[in-house]
Amino acid sequence: MKTRRILVTLLATGLAAASASALAYEGDWKRGRVYYRSVCTACHAAQAGGSIAPSEMTKAQWQAYLQADKHAKGKDSLKQYVGKPYRASIRAQNKAADKFADVPDEELFEDLKAFVIKGAKDGDAPASCS
Amino acid sequence: MERIYIFKRFERIWHWTQALLIIGMMATGFEIHGSYTLLGFARATTVHTTAAWALIALWVFAIFWHFTTGEWRQYIPTTENLTAMIRYYLTGIFSNAPHPFRQTQLRKHNPLQRLAYLGVKLFINPLIWASGLAYLYYNEINAAGYAIGLGSIALVHSIAAFLMLTFFIVHIYFATTGHTWSSHIKAMVTGWEEVEGDARSVP
Amino acid sequence: MKIRHLVLLAGFALASALPAGAAPAKLNTTADHSKFKELQQEFASGPEVTKACLGCHTEAASQVHRTKHWNWEFLNPANQQRLGKKNVINNFCISVPSNYAFCTSCHIGYGWKDGNFDFAAQENVDCLVCHDTTGAYKKLPGLAGHPPYKDTEVLPGSGKIVKATDLAKVAQKVGKTSRDTCGACHFFGGGGDGVKHGDMDSSLASPDKELDVHMDATGLDFTCGTCHKAASHDVAGSRYTPVARDTGGAHIRGKEDDSNPATCQSCHGETPHKKGEAAKLNDHTNVVACQTCHIPKIARGGVATKMSWDWSTAGQLSPEGKPLLKKDDKGRVIYDSKKGDFTLGENVEPEYMWFNGDITYTLLGDKVDKTDGITHINKVGGSATDGRSLIWPMKVFRGAQPYDPVNKTLVTPHTAGNDDTAYWKNFGWEKAIATGMKASGAPFSGQVDFIKTDMSWPITHMVAPKEAALGCADCHSRDGRLAKVGGVYIPGRDHDPLIDLIGWLMAGGALAGVIGHGALRLVRRKD
Ligand code: HEC
Repeated sequence: MKTRRILVTLLATGLAAASASALAYEGDWKRGRVYYRSVCTACHAAQAGGSIAPSEMTKAQWQAYLQADKHAKGKDSLKQYVGKPYRASIRAQNKAADKFADVPDEELFEDLKAFVIKGAKDGDAPASCS
Repeated sequence: MERIYIFKRFERIWHWTQALLIIGMMATGFEIHGSYTLLGFARATTVHTTAAWALIALWVFAIFWHFTTGEWRQYIPTTENLTAMIRYYLTGIFSNAPHPFRQTQLRKHNPLQRLAYLGVKLFINPLIWASGLAYLYYNEINAAGYAIGLGSIALVHSIAAFLMLTFFIVHIYFATTGHTWSSHIKAMVTGWEEVEGDARSVP
Repeated sequence: MKIRHLVLLAGFALASALPAGAAPAKLNTTADHSKFKELQQEFASGPEVTKACLGCHTEAASQVHRTKHWNWEFLNPANQQRLGKKNVINNFCISVPSNYAFCTSCHIGYGWKDGNFDFAAQENVDCLVCHDTTGAYKKLPGLAGHPPYKDTEVLPGSGKIVKATDLAKVAQKVGKTSRDTCGACHFFGGGGDGVKHGDMDSSLASPDKELDVHMDATGLDFTCGTCHKAASHDVAGSRYTPVARDTGGAHIRGKEDDSNPATCQSCHGETPHKKGEAAKLNDHTNVVACQTCHIPKIARGGVATKMSWDWSTAGQLSPEGKPLLKKDDKGRVIYDSKKGDFTLGENVEPEYMWFNGDITYTLLGDKVDKTDGITHINKVGGSATDGRSLIWPMKVFRGAQPYDPVNKTLVTPHTAGNDDTAYWKNFGWEKAIATGMKASGAPFSGQVDFIKTDMSWPITHMVAPKEAALGCADCHSRDGRLAKVGGVYIPGRDHDPLIDLIGWLMAGGALAGVIGHGALRLVRRKD
């Protein structure tokens, strides 16, 4: 019984610690900046009729936008453009996608989020797209 | 009318390769000089330098050939017939007077040619080679402690180039003064020259 | 059995709870500052943070105290000129004294608001401005080097609010310097993004390869410190005594070397071009600075740089007595009542001149005369023959600025401030200059005129990829980039006109001669 209890506690603390460390990842806004400017902006310049600056939306708007995960007027998912498969598909032409090819999706998404929130209209450092 | 074999195969190859290289080098050289734009400075220098090395190689062969065959004697200057030659080009040529010089295998060049070619070989060529190599190795020469300005090197090189250009123009023209307008040129291509009269009755 | 199952289960649970890449964010130091008790507190001010830093980094402040970054003063050993931001006059915002509280938002200290700043106080050192990684630490003009501790309007009346700085957060996240931290000041020199240098602006914070091969954020990703290697807080590479020609060769580990590590040659040596066709380029390195070919244009990142500034037109007001602001079609300010007329440029070709690293400033006491034409704020030394010079690219910044026509000196106007002499508030030169000159301890006649000045800035950043470097014909042509640089024979640019004339006459004469001769033959033969 005793061993069992020890194990249960171990398991519980282990799980807690693991999820905490997963949650503890804090977005790297600089990495987000590079990804945003090289990947998102490259496509917007080509397909969206011009670049879209982080400073075009407020922090709250960005929060909601990222949460909803509806991109290009709701046509597709934004997360898709952060995901590894997308990075893998463009890495031959895109140096940022290549450099960050192996970064976990959740991390890169947090990075991106950190950058756009920081660069939002009412953020710490309103940022342009290039 | 008779045909004699004047220019051997090596001589002809040498002549025409050299002609091609020199024309190319003049065209690119004056471009590098800034006189006009043709290939662009970068390509002009590459072509010019490559051609220079090719010409140097050709010259090494040619010098070797001249000495082993004894052909260098063709360029020993002579005053014999010189005034007659000059008179011919000044007057005789216009009245279809007979050519005062007869080509043979042993005497390919008339006295004027001898002088001109000797001048090219002993003066213009060395000047152009020496200044050209100095131009190429300007940095090394200065690093070795000989403070020669690039401007002076370029000056000598351009003087030599103008001399070469002048020679080139006159040379091409004289190529048309054979028995017919084209006989000299044909000879330089085929080796066979048409001469008037009996070749064996050389004076 | 049950226990075994449980163990297995636990293992699975743990494994699945840890996604493949959930390793903690990579720290490239051995210390995670957010774990330090000393930093887990509410800080009321910058100096309080500094005291916490100094608890461990005991020597940091005294190291900083020895630097130009701290003293804004530099004694040029070559000519004994007393330089540094505190002392020099330029033709941008002109001078620091009497404007301390504004200018010192770019000082690495706290509280330099007038001439009585305590340079010996350790807690006055601002660690965060260089070591911030959050990008949330901003010093505002007017606060004498402090960040805002409460929500603050950037410029009174602008409506632009900057939030109070979360000092604890910034302190817990300190790290190495970055392009962003150095750039917080150096990108904005001259009063705005890209204004001063031309080869440094905010586009270098995260540049692509086209803009800068070394700093390329998806490539080599150099920080400023990669080249400007600091030791004991002293950052290498100086604008006052630059190294114009480095013949010392590449810096190699283990080689005893205290030469400037920020030159191109300190990594690339003097013969960096590969064998083959490019090898000829190595023959240029004793004449031409690397920067001349490899930085073909400045202000290439989309940020314009100021090219000229005419203070003499400042002070025009609207009929209602309000300051004016005029913008060009790209929305860039080209007239500001506070400052006068500007011109701006993007993708600007630099100017070129021999430069040996000697720079002589025109300082406050130096005589200047309007009849001399243009007064050089800084004279750059150099010649083709001194053995120390190379041909360098420069941004030459031209302008007109106030001076004292009686004493014949430049002046140090009091521009920024919320008082009744500051020029930017009152638009009166006499009072502004009187205040400023008093702060500088210099005599002022009371008369104001304007004098033309220029200032040269050696260009060294924004190194382009080699495909974009200058080609031969950019200089080897009659009117190329180096058309005005003397003392050197440049094939394609230079020629001896007399020899050319004689040469062409000779060749042309020969041509005319043979054509005439041939024509005569043609005519005669027909007879
Ligand atoms: C494959 C091309 C492409 C990529 C990659 C891309 N976008 Fe877009 N984005 C678009 C298009 C197309 C639009 C729609 C523009 C329109 O119709 O007005 C758009 C629109 C947007 C908008 C405007 C709101 C909306 O959804 O219409 C935002 C914000 C945006 N994108 C953010 C991002 C971010 C952040 C990234 C990088 C993770 C990104 N995009 C990557 C093509 C792309």
